[in-house]
Amino acid sequence: MKRIALVLAALLIAAPTFAAPLKVVTTIQDLASLTKEVGGDRVDVSSIARGYQDPHFVEPKPSFLLLLRNADLLEVVGLELEIGWLPPLLDQSRNANIRPGTKGYLDVSHGVEILDRPTVVNRSMGDVHPLGNPHYWLDPANAVRIAIQIEQKLAELRPADAPYFAQRLNAFKIRINDANKRWMATMAPYRGAKVVTYHASWPNFVKHFGLDVVNYVEPKPGVPPSPSHTFELINLMKAQHVKAILMEPYFDAKTPQSIAERTGAKLVVLYPSVGGAKSGTDDYIQTVDTNIANLVKALQ
Amino acid sequence: MTLELIGFLYLPLLAGLILTGIHAYLGVHVVERGVIFVDLSLAQIAALGTTIAYLAGHDLHSNVTYFWSLGFTILGAAIFAFTRVHGETRIPQEAIIGIVYAVSAAAAILAMSKAPEGTEHLKDMLVGNILTVSKFTVAKTAALYAIVGLFHYIFRKKFLAISMGEQIPRIKLWDFLFYTSFGFVVTSSVAIAGVLLVFSYLIVPSVAAMLFASSIGKRLAIGWTMGAVVSAIGIMISFQADLPTGATIVCTFGIALLLLAIIWRLTRRSGTALAN
Repeated sequence: MKRIALVLAALLIAAPTFAAPLKVVTTIQDLASLTKEVGGDRVDVSSIARGYQDPHFVEPKPSFLLLLRNADLLEVVGLELEIGWLPPLLDQSRNANIRPGTKGYLDVSHGVEILDRPTVVNRSMGDVHPLGNPHYWLDPANAVRIAIQIEQKLAELRPADAPYFAQRLNAFKIRINDANKRWMATMAPYRGAKVVTYHASWPNFVKHFGLDVVNYVEPKPGVPPSPSHTFELINLMKAQHVKAILMEPYFDAKTPQSIAERTGAKLVVLYPSVGGAKSGTDDYIQTVDTNIANLVKALQ
Repeated sequence: MTLELIGFLYLPLLAGLILTGIHAYLGVHVVERGVIFVDLSLAQIAALGTTIAYLAGHDLHSNVTYFWSLGFTILGAAIFAFTRVHGETRIPQEAIIGIVYAVSAAAAILAMSKAPEGTEHLKDMLVGNILTVSKFTVAKTAALYAIVGLFHYIFRKKFLAISMGEQIPRIKLWDFLFYTSFGFVVTSSVAIAGVLLVFSYLIVPSVAAMLFASSIGKRLAIGWTMGAVVSAIGIMISFQADLPTGATIVCTFGIALLLLAIIWRLTRRSGTALAN
């Protein structure tokens, strides 16, 4: 009996503080995946948007209010990606700790490379994000920059676990660096290849992997394809021998499919987010793996 | 359902009750007149007004934009009031409503394709979400609808007479006032709850009530009860099963109407059997 008591006492002293995991809510699954990489079992991460949904449009559900209500930390993509649906949810969640400007709010766009930042925005440009292109997480270098910001924020909120987060960040950096070498090697033969994308959502991705986007299926961001633009696009693609049209799974494939048929290009579905498909998109690195594999098939 | 979730429930529920209050009443008129889709049509005209103001460079939530949308609603009301030509030409009012809907929806698409910085904002405007309605909006809407309700209460005899197909002096003016106040309500409601939900609040309680009663007073009582009960059940289901709230309420309305129709059929049969 005495011995059991002693063992118990020893356990209690030796055990680290059993703090409940930090509750983190992210707007998209990519941020959730990177948070898991850094936070391990010391965080409890949930994402609001699913990877197969267009993150510009998310249908609010009651559980989102509850998630936000109980969150210690909210991570957002920013650059107005979530402007259509997050503010009312955040208002109604009545959680003062995760409002913009507080410690529990992390906008990871502050520490990444942003492309397409317009110098002048006017309404004739289409659905342009005035702060720059929000699809920046598709560049693996930005994924590392996001992970660093997450690590700093987690360490700020849970100083006791800072060494644990730092060590996990390093492990992740090593893994994604190795993966990146593999990706770059696979993509090397296709450097400078001309492609068309449906929406202007891949600038960071194509910059990293050295592809050349000659035009978009949408005449302007957010505007459905029009006949004259489609006609011009077909001529352009034929003239420049474009081999692939990249699109997200949630856009309507009819127009890009018919363009592909008329130009001999291949239509490639790339997953813009972790969780974009039933398999092959379980975490960030695996999602890029899948995208690179699909892309290479089309460019060959 | 956790206790915490219940705290999020009361604003949508309150909004649902406010919508029930005015729409179950207006629905009686709309069904009686046979202008079922007039709300969709007016909401679409209002949206066209907003789009045009937006194109002209006004902010989506500015007063100027609001007055544009209100102006277009009044224009729509005028069109509906002054095109009561059924007596002369046999053209049903519903045909004109449908034409106005299609043309204004198409015009909004054309306008958006020209310069749509915020097609997502415009989309947002047409599909208001009852789940995330704010306290301020609920209070403001309650006040506005109380005023419209009072207006209708004062002139109830005139409005009712027209809806029942009677001819009264200066009928076009009263019709215009009816459609204007109606458009005003519908435009605000759509911004809160979206087109589908507003349509359901307007039509379903009134149709259900017609199964069981013919006097206006009884129909109103049945409509209000049904609207309130369905709002509460729909919101509960939405929270319990974690489904989008507006669409859940609409489907609950559908199921409730079906159940009432079955009850009506069964009771009527047994009634006839007894009579024989």
